[in-house]
Amino acid sequence: MGRILASTTLACLALTVPAFAADEQCGSITVAEMNWASAGLAAWVDKIILEEGYGCDVGLVAGDTMPTFASMNEKGEPDMAPELWVNAVKEPLDQAVEEGRIVIASKILSDGGVEGIWVPTWLAEEHGIRTLADALEHPELFPGAEDSSKGAWFGCPSGWACQAINRNQFVGSGAAEKGFELVDSGSAAALDGSIARAANRKEGWLGYYWAPTAILGQYEMTRLDLEAEFDRERWDSCMVKPDCAEPEVTEWPVSDVYTAVTREFADKAGVAMDYVKSRAWSNDTVNEMLAWMVENQASNEDAAYEFLERHEEIWTQWVPAEVAEKVRAAL
Amino acid sequence: MDLIRFPEMSRGSLRAMRQTIDSGFRDFTRAWGDTLEAIFAPLQDLLTLIENLLIRSPWILVLAVLAAAIWLASRSWKIALGSVLALLVVGYFGMWEDTMRTIAMVAVCTLIAVVLGIPIGILMAQSNRMNALVTPILDMMQTMPSFVYLIPVVMIFGLGKVPGVIAVVIYAIPPVIRLTNLGIRQVAPDVLEAAEAFGSSSWQKLRDVQLPLALPTIMAGVNQTIMMSLAMVVVASMIGVRGLGQPVLQAINQQYFTMGVMNGLAIVAIAIIMDRTTQAYGKRLQKHTEAGK
Repeated sequence: MGRILASTTLACLALTVPAFAADEQCGSITVAEMNWASAGLAAWVDKIILEEGYGCDVGLVAGDTMPTFASMNEKGEPDMAPELWVNAVKEPLDQAVEEGRIVIASKILSDGGVEGIWVPTWLAEEHGIRTLADALEHPELFPGAEDSSKGAWFGCPSGWACQAINRNQFVGSGAAEKGFELVDSGSAAALDGSIARAANRKEGWLGYYWAPTAILGQYEMTRLDLEAEFDRERWDSCMVKPDCAEPEVTEWPVSDVYTAVTREFADKAGVAMDYVKSRAWSNDTVNEMLAWMVENQASNEDAAYEFLERHEEIWTQWVPAEVAEKVRAAL
Repeated sequence: MDLIRFPEMSRGSLRAMRQTIDSGFRDFTRAWGDTLEAIFAPLQDLLTLIENLLIRSPWILVLAVLAAAIWLASRSWKIALGSVLALLVVGYFGMWEDTMRTIAMVAVCTLIAVVLGIPIGILMAQSNRMNALVTPILDMMQTMPSFVYLIPVVMIFGLGKVPGVIAVVIYAIPPVIRLTNLGIRQVAPDVLEAAEAFGSSSWQKLRDVQLPLALPTIMAGVNQTIMMSLAMVVVASMIGVRGLGQPVLQAINQQYFTMGVMNGLAIVAIAIIMDRTTQAYGKRLQKHTEAGK
């Protein structure tokens, strides 16, 4: 008799209050707040929704692609990286997924990350620059190289996967012969600084950048047509290798940008995991929020609240109605 | 009254303040950027010249000149030989070019720091008011996280050597200023009295009494300055300064353990070479003055 009663109670509990069940399952989790704006925003949106809607206890830890990935891979901490650019960690990630240490939960950027060579839009219009070849005809338009007689091609920060790719694009396009110098930007902050500087002074700027980013929400930039198709074989065998002998200009593939979670989180988090699986937004949304952020000097937290208020139609689709109600109440 | 929540400025006015300062700085870079860049152009030329000299000359010649310079400064076969060996190993492991770039950078930064720092230190030792004014600035230079001023410097000068030199000098100049000041202040008052009794002018006192007696302390300051500019090499590489910092940065980002350690050790090797050489030079200077007595 006692046994029947107990199991009925359990069954009732399980049937009637899934949200309550989530409280118990979710517990405390850690989310990586990456050091670039779009990922920081995503981390805060997750934090607010998971805490208010699902009753999790979310701790944010600062992160960057390589260290966060390595820590998730080796130590199972933090539980979740909301925005992981797969190209940057391709091989180790594939291996970690295969060995079951990391689970790819969702594709957070629905249209993927866009990488390429960019110039300011006003410059492109003024000089009719549409393709990379057009731009390379005018090294005098792009100051910033150490040798002032040369044009500057701002490269990717040291140690990022794009460093090798960018170098190969530079060599492949014959930019050196056309009077360009590859400027190593050292860090993302410095790369941003060089773009801001050029925009302030209304100077030309040519270099590697990617979307969605605050910089592209803030300064109007045009992505140059490389006049080359993406070629998977050439890309994998040559473009990503730092010592490729004969690189050719190759269009960037659209980067997959995923939310990655640890196996432990995927197993324990239940309902919260369903949320993470359905969460995705477009580059336009993110660019818009990032531009808002810069304009208002807002923190990731401010921007997350602004997003939840402004774009209800987007996030309410990620969660069941009763969770949406709870989040709305907390705003 | 709410005693838990600190009475803070409203979010709106704080934001307005930050925006005003930011746009003020932007206007400043627009108005003065070109001028400032022109002022620092000779520095860029000097750096490029030294770097090209070190990299484009035959390596054996560079090594010989460096060894000769080290011997002339230290007069110690042990130090000169050790330096040559260290540089040979560094070169053999494929870090010759980066090492030369770093040596050029550190040499120029140290030169600037010493040329600016020693006079400032002397002024501080002469006047208590100057001392009170400069000390907090030095504190700020040493503790302000470098990226806070690196990005504004990049906004003015762009990426490359000049902003790198500025950042390194800001960080590395305080020890030479502080220790010059300290060294001169520590000269015993009775010695100065004696000098005065012999009728020396204040310039003579400074040149013939204070500076020679403060020399060991000043040399310790120069030494610290060299060490600190080497420590800044990696940070400087974050704004596009080429040299040993870049592979270190790359190794950190990609977790190439060996590459990081090797380039890190190359920085250590340069540090030890410069340290031993300047210390031996300092000791020699002292002996020289003692013998002169």
